[in-house]
Amino acid sequence: MKQMKAIITGITGQDGAFLARLLLKKNYKVYGLKRRTSVENTQRVDEIFQHKNFQLIYFDLNDAGAIWKLLIDINPDEIYNLAAQSHVRVSFDIPEHTVDGIAMGTLRILNAIKTVCPNARFYQASSSEMFGDNLNYPFNEDSRLMPASPYACAKVFAHNLVRNYRESYNLHVSSGILFNHESPMRGENFVTRKITLAAAKIKLGLQDKLFLGNLDAKRDWGYAGDYVEAMWKMLQQDTPDDYVIATGDFHTIKEFLECVFSYAGLNPDKYVEIDERLFRPQEVPYLLGDASKAKKILKWEPRISFQQLYEMMYRADYEYLKRGESQGLLQ
Amino acid sequence: MKKTALITGVTGMDGSHLADFLLSKNYEVWGTIRDESSLNHRNLESSKDKLHFIKSDLKDQKSIIKCVENIKPDEIYNLASNRGAVGESWNTPEDASEVNGIGVLRILEAIRHCNKNIKFCQAGSSEMFGRAVDVPSNELSPCMPQSPYGVAKLYSYWITRNYREAYNLFVCNAILFNHNSPRRSPKFVTRKISQGVAQIKCGVKKHIVLGNLDSKRDWGYAPDYVRAMWLMTQQDTPDDYVIATNQLHSIRDFLKIAFEYIGIENWEPYVKQDSKFIRPTEVDIIQGDSSKAFNKFNWHPKISFEQMVRTMVEYDMQKLNKECGV
Repeated sequence: MKQMKAIITGITGQDGAFLARLLLKKNYKVYGLKRRTSVENTQRVDEIFQHKNFQLIYFDLNDAGAIWKLLIDINPDEIYNLAAQSHVRVSFDIPEHTVDGIAMGTLRILNAIKTVCPNARFYQASSSEMFGDNLNYPFNEDSRLMPASPYACAKVFAHNLVRNYRESYNLHVSSGILFNHESPMRGENFVTRKITLAAAKIKLGLQDKLFLGNLDAKRDWGYAGDYVEAMWKMLQQDTPDDYVIATGDFHTIKEFLECVFSYAGLNPDKYVEIDERLFRPQEVPYLLGDASKAKKILKWEPRISFQQLYEMMYRADYEYLKRGESQGLLQ
Repeated sequence: MKKTALITGVTGMDGSHLADFLLSKNYEVWGTIRDESSLNHRNLESSKDKLHFIKSDLKDQKSIIKCVENIKPDEIYNLASNRGAVGESWNTPEDASEVNGIGVLRILEAIRHCNKNIKFCQAGSSEMFGRAVDVPSNELSPCMPQSPYGVAKLYSYWITRNYREAYNLFVCNAILFNHNSPRRSPKFVTRKISQGVAQIKCGVKKHIVLGNLDSKRDWGYAPDYVRAMWLMTQQDTPDDYVIATNQLHSIRDFLKIAFEYIGIENWEPYVKQDSKFIRPTEVDIIQGDSSKAFNKFNWHPKISFEQMVRTMVEYDMQKLNKECGV
């Protein structure tokens, strides 16, 4: 059987690292695409760097010619577009950079696919943030998109472009509307990881204060390892489509905080302070997903529970810190 | 005190009508142009001596900030768009996205960073509704845009709302349904008909060749629509408004009135159909519900469909007379 070839944009991120591992296990040849950065940020893929089926390549979503050339050279079977400026609060500070990568970058890939490899299958990382101000949760694929941040506006932009290209050019392009998904590899400036890392540091006497923003937002948190499975499954379907990927259960940030601290044997009131600067200019109060369609068609279900998730994240941070490592990374 | 307004896309149909309107309200009016060599004054014959021009491009953040800082406008109206047509956006999707989508973000950023008191009106489009679920569509209708143009317009709508809510800016979306005037480009079917009918009347043409005659549209008169944009910018609070006539007419209806105006009752022998003018995926029905604009600031179209068609034919007949002496 012919070896499958997959391109992953955003390989240095949490999802890129999980997806690369999954595809390598499935004997894919994996091309991981990253931007050049002055400080190396490949920690999450260091472990698979030497794998014979893995190759790291420099690219940039701003560079349409480079994307074009890569698709010609690699002629991939599957393309997973995970690259993004993915931090919602930061998108208020750098809105043009955010939309440029997310919307224009996606458009450049779609245009290249249409011409260079129209039979390749494409996965777009859409986001639950697209539901934004909509209060009629839980959200499914037909729920109204009401984006409430530059990040979410950009994701809606890209999401609609993907649908347009699917309907007009008959391309196999699908969007996964992923709700929040975490892991020990989550970026340290995302609230879940920030909390587990802080709890571990406090426990070890390395930190004494944790500054947080809005604790009332409710989120549907799943495990990133489960979610990349859903991405892969979408591209194995005969027909492309959009799918909500979520656990169907949600908790406030405050609950996440209390669960982690209690698991660590700590009282959050002694350490946590609210910093107004960490609030978003516009808040999204509730994000809860309904993944019935994915369950029915993709036979996908989340395996890791909320409790397993925060315990896993705390333990990973605690154990790595205890061993004197500076970065808490999975495995 | 005399107010100052900045209009992007001032050389277009809406931009020129808005310039006329604001001049009549005693505004100092500035229009942005991208390049003097390609400046098309066709629509600005009556106003160009009273207008001020400044070079600016929605693809260039600095040029927008320069406008805001030098002109110090009280109001900005964004009517610029990449060569308009929906179909064309399939051929130049990056340009359509850059100008119609991210260009709006750049104006909002200029307002946020330079002067938060500027009032901003964004010319949105009914194309953002696309495969309409609600007909007629109102401000709460779901959006399924069907072209890169519609997708970019939807982004501009959301990012404008986002800036209003996040930063408390006075920014409005005018969700404009189809509208016309004698200044419409002949690439659009309405102007094509009015020109064709005038040419038939003057004996320089025998037929008009068109696509689907049965598609129905909500057609308003452009000067009514730019007045709506000004009105929403004068309210105490910013908001989004659908601007439409709430009435549907087919191309046949348009033809009937246009030919009647030149004394032809039986118009069908003068119209030929060609499938090349039929779009691959025709958007079924485009109809708007502008009751919010009516309730909030008493806006309703002053010019009826019939009057609009007759005005367009009359204009084209006079133009033809002047040009060819027919």
